[in-house]
Amino acid sequence: MAVTGKLVVNLHNLARFTNIAVPLLAGLFFVSGLRISFYFHFLSVGFLFLTILNAFYLYGQRGHSLLRNFGILGQGRYILESVGPELRQYLYSNDTEERPFNRNERAEVYRKAQNTNSASSFGSQKNFDSTEVKVRHSMFPIHKSELKHTHITFGEERGCANPYTLERPFIISGMSYGALGESAVRVFARGAKQARILMNTGEGGYPKYHLEEGCDLIFQIGTAKFGVRQSDGQLDDQKLRDLVANETVKMIEIKFSQGAKPGKGGLLPKEKITEEISELRGVPIGEDVVSPTSHAECTDIESAVRFIAHVQEVSQLPVGIKMCVGLSTEFREFVTEMKRQNVFPDWITVDGAEGGSGAAPKAFMDRVGIPLFPGLKRVNNILTELEARDRLKIVASGKLVGPGRQMIAFCLGADVIASARGFMLAAGCIQAMQCGNNTCPIGITTHDPNLQRGLDITLKANRVENYVNNLEHDLVELLCATGCRSIQELSFDHLYVPKDSTLHTYIINSK
Amino acid sequence: MKSRAPSLILSWIAQIIAIVIMGQTLYFKFNGAPESIVLFTELGMEPEGRMLVGILELVTCILLIIPASVTFGAILGSALMVGAIIGHCTVLGWEGDRFYLGILAVSVLIACSVILYIRRYTVPFLGSALHGDETPHEERY
Ligand SMILES: Cc1cc2nc3c(=O)[nH]c(=O)nc-3n(C[C@H](O)[C@H](O)[C@H](O)COP(=O)(O)O)c2cc1C
Repeated sequence: MAVTGKLVVNLHNLARFTNIAVPLLAGLFFVSGLRISFYFHFLSVGFLFLTILNAFYLYGQRGHSLLRNFGILGQGRYILESVGPELRQYLYSNDTEERPFNRNERAEVYRKAQNTNSASSFGSQKNFDSTEVKVRHSMFPIHKSELKHTHITFGEERGCANPYTLERPFIISGMSYGALGESAVRVFARGAKQARILMNTGEGGYPKYHLEEGCDLIFQIGTAKFGVRQSDGQLDDQKLRDLVANETVKMIEIKFSQGAKPGKGGLLPKEKITEEISELRGVPIGEDVVSPTSHAECTDIESAVRFIAHVQEVSQLPVGIKMCVGLSTEFREFVTEMKRQNVFPDWITVDGAEGGSGAAPKAFMDRVGIPLFPGLKRVNNILTELEARDRLKIVASGKLVGPGRQMIAFCLGADVIASARGFMLAAGCIQAMQCGNNTCPIGITTHDPNLQRGLDITLKANRVENYVNNLEHDLVELLCATGCRSIQELSFDHLYVPKDSTLHTYIINSK
Repeated sequence: MKSRAPSLILSWIAQIIAIVIMGQTLYFKFNGAPESIVLFTELGMEPEGRMLVGILELVTCILLIIPASVTFGAILGSALMVGAIIGHCTVLGWEGDRFYLGILAVSVLIACSVILYIRRYTVPFLGSALHGDETPHEERY
């Protein structure tokens, strides 16, 4: 360390000074306690404890190099660091900075859920220069009364015996009971029922609470097939038949992959495995539950398509698949095989790599899979090229929590929007990012009864309903502005795509 | 969460011992029992010191009862008892009654140490350093 002669705060020196000063002061106060007043022993005991702690940091422990080198003052770093996330979220991060959802995005969902005025003033905080996709409006917006209805019927293309008509193009995306606590499942299920939309069960096994609340359900078959599994991991046809005998199970979704962890199976940390969950899923307590990376039946494209046909046959319901796009060539072969076998899923859920998860390996969350917009565009293009687009519906998910991004997804080919975190935010999620620890401060992704207590089911179910109402309201207004009479009329040409957007490569004749 | 059930029970027994021993002396301190006044007069802390120590011991007892603050209570309790023992060693001595009182302080100190040992992973400023040694996937470096 150079001695500069200037007065600077040199933390190295300060730490060394502290390490000597603490025991010295302990001794000094002890002597004062003897000579001057016994009161000094309050200080001598305090400093004695600090001396012992510091000795442990410097010579006892080996885990933290910083404490081993600098002792007690090094704790300052850890203390400050530990309050960092809160301070940033409360005070220091600006309104458009946080991820996955910044304060503006969260606030928009909160306002929609609480039914409060959502007009903004003065101007947009978005970056208008070169990355933001915009919707092109028409010079002659149409009136609401000219719109066609937004009903979507799943299963109509193949003449499914039990097609399902969704009144409003929104779905509560799969979140398992397990990732969610019981109260949260009830909030979403009750909210879905009130809002007349669908709820996806996620891969949580037998949907006990969903059925109790009586909303329309998509039952998700995850790669571990919780709820419908044989001991060898294959589908148990009888269990599936029993399950679809429940009247509110309207559709089945086969999960191939999820945006937050494409190429990995589901993951439920051991902290969240209660006795009931171990029973509903058929898994042991005290171990992380890791689903296999793929379905036992699906080893290649041919068998995957056959499996879809099999589930359609057994369930007699509309059957969709959920996937995050990876290799485009593979998806092209997949659709080609569907055509060859003349088997199409009734819908494909395209989940963007930006999707959420209760728990996923960080590398997968950050680095694997194609983001929603380019993925969706690619899927729509390939289906159109292979003349298969009219054989199925497309559901899109991946941070589609507000009308802006939802509109873009519709323009890119989506028929329906699914969201998980949008509905979590509507139920009061504050983005504390603790879904995997069983410590969710709002009581959504936890089984701790003391934390779930905070979640008032009736009130939050109403918020979910409000949120859907307001999303639909904005969707209708945006549609009118484009001059289109239905979602299906929207196209890529309704988007303005600036040069630095990931979608720019899809512009053929620039407009 | 880390400690297994039997040791947690042992911790609770130690907590109760500490609370009972400290708690019953509070009565004498706050009421100004003659023995208590004598002690604190010798220490030169009468009456403010008597009240101060009494209040701190009361706080310790409360912290030791509430599950979320047990380790804080044990730290505060052991600090007070070290102070008491210093008192016996430097001023009060260990003769007769004083020996009995001193042994009580030592007992509470031992009880607090047992609590801290059993709950060492959750002790503030200490737990994470202990973790660092034993669990390699701890997030800190
Ligand atoms: C807490 C939580 C649990 C989830 N559980 C599942 C699941 O069991 N199965 C699944 O396919 N997706 C699951 N997902 C992913 C969502 O269904 C969705 O695809 C993804 O979060 C993207 O939507 P969003 O950005 O609107 O949240 C989960 C997401 C979250 C946040």
